[in-house]
Amino acid sequence: MRNIRLIARLDIKGPNLIKGIHLEGLRIIGSPNEHALRYYNEGIDEIIYMDSVASLYGRNSLDDIVKSAAKDIFVPMTVGGGIRSLDDVSNTLRCGADKVAVNSEAVKNPELIRDIATRFGSQCMVLSVEAKNISPDHWEVYIDNGRERTHLDVIEWVQRAEDLGAGEILLTSIDQEGTRRGFDIPLVEAVTKIVSVPVIASGGMGSSSDLAKVVIEGKADAVAMADILHYERETVNNLRKYALSEGIEVRDI
Amino acid sequence: MTSKKAFFGLPSEVLYCKKCVISNQRPSSTVEFSHKKNEKKLTINFQSDGVCDACNYHETKEKEINWSQREEQLLEVLNKYRRNDGGYDVIVPGSGGKDSAYTSHVLKYKYGMNPLTVTWAPHKYTNIGWQNFESWLHKGGLDNILFTPNGLLHRYLTKQAFVNLLHPFQPFIVGQRIIGPMMAAKFGVKLVMYGENQAEYGNNPKENFKPTMDTKFFSVSDPKDMIIGGRSVGGIIEEGNFNLNDFTPYIPPTVDFLEDKGVEVHYLGFYHKWDPQECYYYASEHTGFKANTERTEGTYSKYSSIDDCIDMFHYYTTLIKFGIGRATYDAAQEIRNGKITREEGVLLVSKFDQEFPNKYFKEFLEYVSLSESEFHETIDKFRSPHLWTKVNGEWKLRNLVSNN
Repeated sequence: MRNIRLIARLDIKGPNLIKGIHLEGLRIIGSPNEHALRYYNEGIDEIIYMDSVASLYGRNSLDDIVKSAAKDIFVPMTVGGGIRSLDDVSNTLRCGADKVAVNSEAVKNPELIRDIATRFGSQCMVLSVEAKNISPDHWEVYIDNGRERTHLDVIEWVQRAEDLGAGEILLTSIDQEGTRRGFDIPLVEAVTKIVSVPVIASGGMGSSSDLAKVVIEGKADAVAMADILHYERETVNNLRKYALSEGIEVRDI
Repeated sequence: MTSKKAFFGLPSEVLYCKKCVISNQRPSSTVEFSHKKNEKKLTINFQSDGVCDACNYHETKEKEINWSQREEQLLEVLNKYRRNDGGYDVIVPGSGGKDSAYTSHVLKYKYGMNPLTVTWAPHKYTNIGWQNFESWLHKGGLDNILFTPNGLLHRYLTKQAFVNLLHPFQPFIVGQRIIGPMMAAKFGVKLVMYGENQAEYGNNPKENFKPTMDTKFFSVSDPKDMIIGGRSVGGIIEEGNFNLNDFTPYIPPTVDFLEDKGVEVHYLGFYHKWDPQECYYYASEHTGFKANTERTEGTYSKYSSIDDCIDMFHYYTTLIKFGIGRATYDAAQEIRNGKITREEGVLLVSKFDQEFPNKYFKEFLEYVSLSESEFHETIDKFRSPHLWTKVNGEWKLRNLVSNN
């Protein structure tokens, strides 16, 4: 079994690190790079930068933040929000990102997934999915940071995206996001069962035990954390120790 | 610039605030019991530097108000009314949305009061609104009285208000303002606590510097003289479909009665620095409040004012009458509270402000018993020439915040 990756997720709006609840009510937390650096120094495995309002405003303003992060931070960085074209991808990679995450534009134009995978490789093409539970075992895909419905079924969508070349799935539960009430385990389980690419579970981590639950029950390959780190409710070190104590393989540092 | 006729006594030249996105067309709250068709509206004041009073008040709020002193004032008020004998000591009107959830929950669990929350029912509950309402009481741990007025009359009044004033929410606002003081009087409670002071958004700023609501907003002398939906109650009764008894919930208590009972109406927003987004965080944590499953039509947000299917039509009518839709109200508030920049606000207004509320259109038409064409005819009657012009058969706003 591969190591389970611990990932810090930084949602960005303008120059600020922000945090919402159900992706709404975006509260300003502080400087993105100060937080990223702290997580890096604590031994985080990867970092995700997500411009959460890029689609809403039709812009992408992460360039400077990513460039400056790339100077000090030497773990894989995934950057998402407002990626609409191959040019956006090359620009983002040039700024220092290792992978891009795409949601809204992939929904509007699924061929973009294939194009990115063909040109830059699947390992670089992360499909970001904002999932909302609509009935037991059914989830709908949302875009624009959880604002707009698409009527796409999450399970059908991730299968299709995998066929098109998505190399990884960042799976965010809108229902759990920001609530500290634990991950949507049935969602993660349903997706990990159906796709063979790695799945990053995101949204709802309230305490370290949620980490074990989503890995053991949900079979997540990686865990994205925001609230729990931003509000300093846990440190990366503690979470790593906890994971090891639960028999979960994580990077040994 | 040629000046076109402005309806409702609105300023003929449209100005946008230099700090937020509100325009000088924004009306202040009126005394709804006497709101007539042709009355000139008081609007938000702009200072000579082009900044609106709501932004100016916000500056004051940030800099000059000593909030710990205000909290002490609050404690004085609460201590005066607090009871420990098993009776209610404060009435909190609200719907279980984030603001009333916050107000009622801090009063009970932070300040040890014994609130009775009272709700004037929405026209038509949305699913999420009903869930949040229930969660407010079940998870938040509060008592509530849900007051639902006679739907036949309420629908009739809503229709009148739509057709005569293009203000379908007016009867609801009337009821909502009365219910607090009314229940206070009935339960022998002397204190009514609302959340946010509407003056923050551009009513007379002087009202921001007193903690209580003017009794003119909820008292009247002769009920037959009351005007609802642009019609006098006496006139509606003469038609023969309703009698005075049907109007019970709309008849506000008299000033004398309230004074006699010693009822005082306060705003928590006077004592606590009010931030709608922080209320959302609080309500989410303490009363199980949930944001909507998708953004509300006409704006980008999904957590405010989501309990009524008809709500979007309130903002749609303000767009028609004043050129100010829901995204403008939301963005202006968020700019003031430092959540977004003005530039972002302008983008959001351009993107969402004029969106037609399709989702519950059918429900609205059914509620007010109008056909689609009657709806549009009414709407078009209220497009003030100084705001709207028809270009290639399509109505366009002459002045947009994005062009200013």
